[in-house]
Amino acid sequence: MSLPWAERFKPKTLQEIAGNYAAAEQLLNWIKARIEGRGAVKRAALLSGPPGTGKTLSVGIVARALDLELIEMNASDFRTEELVNKMAGGATLQASLFGRSGKLVFFDELDGISGREDRGGLGAILGILKETRYPVVLAVNDPWDPRFRPLRDICEMIQFRRIRRPSVEVQLKRIARLANVTVDDALIKRVAERAGGDLRAAINDLQMLAEGQRILRDGDVGLLAGRVQEKGIFDVMRDVFSAEGCLEAKLALEGSSVDSEMVLQWINENIPNQYTDPEERAEAYDWFSKADIFMGRVKRRQMWDLMGYAMELATGGAALARRGPYRFTRYNFPRRIGMLSQSKELRGRKREVLKAIGREAHASVKKVATEYLPYMEIMAEKGKLPKGILSWAEDNKET
Amino acid sequence: MWTEKYRPRTLHEIVNQKEIIERLERFVKEKSMPNCLFAGPPGTGKTTAALCLAMDLFGKNYHKNYLELNASDERGIDVVRTTVKDFARTISMAEAPFKILVLDEADNMTPDAQQALRRTMEMYTNTCRFILACNYFSKIIEPIQSRCAFFRFAPLKPEDVKARVRHICGAENVEITPSGLEALIYVGGGDLRRVVNMLQSAAAVGEKIDEKGIYRIAGRVSPKELREMLEKALDGDFNAARNDTVKLMVEYGLSGLDIVKQVHRELLGLELDERAKLQLIEVVGEAEYRLLEGGSDEVQMNAVLAKIAMIGRSSKERGH
Repeated sequence: MSLPWAERFKPKTLQEIAGNYAAAEQLLNWIKARIEGRGAVKRAALLSGPPGTGKTLSVGIVARALDLELIEMNASDFRTEELVNKMAGGATLQASLFGRSGKLVFFDELDGISGREDRGGLGAILGILKETRYPVVLAVNDPWDPRFRPLRDICEMIQFRRIRRPSVEVQLKRIARLANVTVDDALIKRVAERAGGDLRAAINDLQMLAEGQRILRDGDVGLLAGRVQEKGIFDVMRDVFSAEGCLEAKLALEGSSVDSEMVLQWINENIPNQYTDPEERAEAYDWFSKADIFMGRVKRRQMWDLMGYAMELATGGAALARRGPYRFTRYNFPRRIGMLSQSKELRGRKREVLKAIGREAHASVKKVATEYLPYMEIMAEKGKLPKGILSWAEDNKET
Repeated sequence: MWTEKYRPRTLHEIVNQKEIIERLERFVKEKSMPNCLFAGPPGTGKTTAALCLAMDLFGKNYHKNYLELNASDERGIDVVRTTVKDFARTISMAEAPFKILVLDEADNMTPDAQQALRRTMEMYTNTCRFILACNYFSKIIEPIQSRCAFFRFAPLKPEDVKARVRHICGAENVEITPSGLEALIYVGGGDLRRVVNMLQSAAAVGEKIDEKGIYRIAGRVSPKELREMLEKALDGDFNAARNDTVKLMVEYGLSGLDIVKQVHRELLGLELDERAKLQLIEVVGEAEYRLLEGGSDEVQMNAVLAKIAMIGRSSKERGH
């Protein structure tokens, strides 16, 4: 047996792509627009989605469809600043050697870029995005990784979703037919179910089961070990808030590579989204604030063993605060940082005013806010604010 | 502001802290002083004493040799390494034997910054004296304490406060009733800054200051945003209350602890049934405790607002 089935029976055209056809089409249209240089086209495209949902495949197909030379770098290549520039950077400036109509630069598996070994790599990629005349496509599993923040702003975001089970089943049947294996429907269902939306995994499983056999029956599935699936943060939130008990809530974190502190930030942000009932909300936050104290100890005194208590209090509390059945909730990204930068300008101005008063009153901004401002507000209401600070009061009213 | 207008300009004018003032006056006479640590509650004259000392020592152009840094605004280690050092190492102007650098609210300095200060204080003894002012001297690291002469400022005695209030009323032509004066002393405690600020806002509200006027003002001891935050939380609008908290933190530089303490001051003046007030006191006290235990500002504030919202609702239900 030569090629893995996932390679051997790979679709050749856009129409054959299972599940994420719309995303592949979005990619095609973006590349076309980018090449034609239409007005508001973003510099690059960021494909995101779980493994085995067709990101790399789509790029290959689209490149072929448009007759573009594909220049690819993935996690198996070292991606230091120097190498990125040498390889992709050179290519992005020269015309194609092969007489194709153009080039497509593709950085795959960017999640795997390492801070240490690939020093400066991400920065170099950003640089290329800004300079190159060729379309650049990037692929990642988790687009919300903070490292990718600078990319998110300048990229066309194209999302690949887990492939729904019926589509996976159709593909498995197609491949079984092509491979000349007879497969029981029930087994197809099992394999598709286990794969959890990862088509490549499903095909690999099927091939493994079929190795050396002509006919596959339902019972043969026992050979498969369950796959641990990478869970995204939204899944983690859903599983935490819908858990029935402490253990289940804690286990919700398993199978996800999101780090603990990030999970805590998400819970903190989403308690009020999940719970609008005051009692549920207060209880969830009460447990969470206790978890927070443990986190404080973990960080301040480097007592990493205490982390477990923090996570259990936070997740268990978030789950057990629920009085009725779980309600579907749209979870938000932690907001705080965004909010701070939004109010930056305002903050600067107000702070300057408080500081100016502080200089006169020999007091800190904080002290001005708590020891002077309340009284100045009363005086201002009566129009009796001392002259020097009247101008400030007017500023303050506007904001 | 009257607090500035009536701030003493020379040590001699300071009405309280007799022993401390006597010692400071001796420093002026001998033109020599050690590094000092002023500890005591707010509004007891720490900053004023430092300012008067500098004015008495250096005369009219005191500000050339005097620098006041507010440690809660500029408390990082880089400030100690740059601003403080630059000021301390240059030689004093004119006749002054040394310069004075005041680090106000020094208990808000990070321990790292305090450590950095240690060597700086010693290195520039030829050119500069340090005065550290703080509410809690226990938050000043020991090596710094041991390098300073220690002055403990006591809360002002009621007679001293009264004398000052009468003096200001006379100068401003404001009338205050005896019961108004008592009320002012009672709510202001030994904090002269607060007393004078309340006096000025009471004077802005009415012709004659009486007991009622003072209590009305005493019920409003926080910035507008904080009162709004509290109202929104009690109304059950958690998200709006949370936004106000963030505002208080970024715009006013308040910490979670500051906000919680401020909420505590507001509690008894709220229009709310008494049982709810008790519950609020418990909740706010618990929050302050958790913050001191190492909880983070944002999380603990969310928790306390969520609880306030719950108490607000059950109080309303009882009311109907």
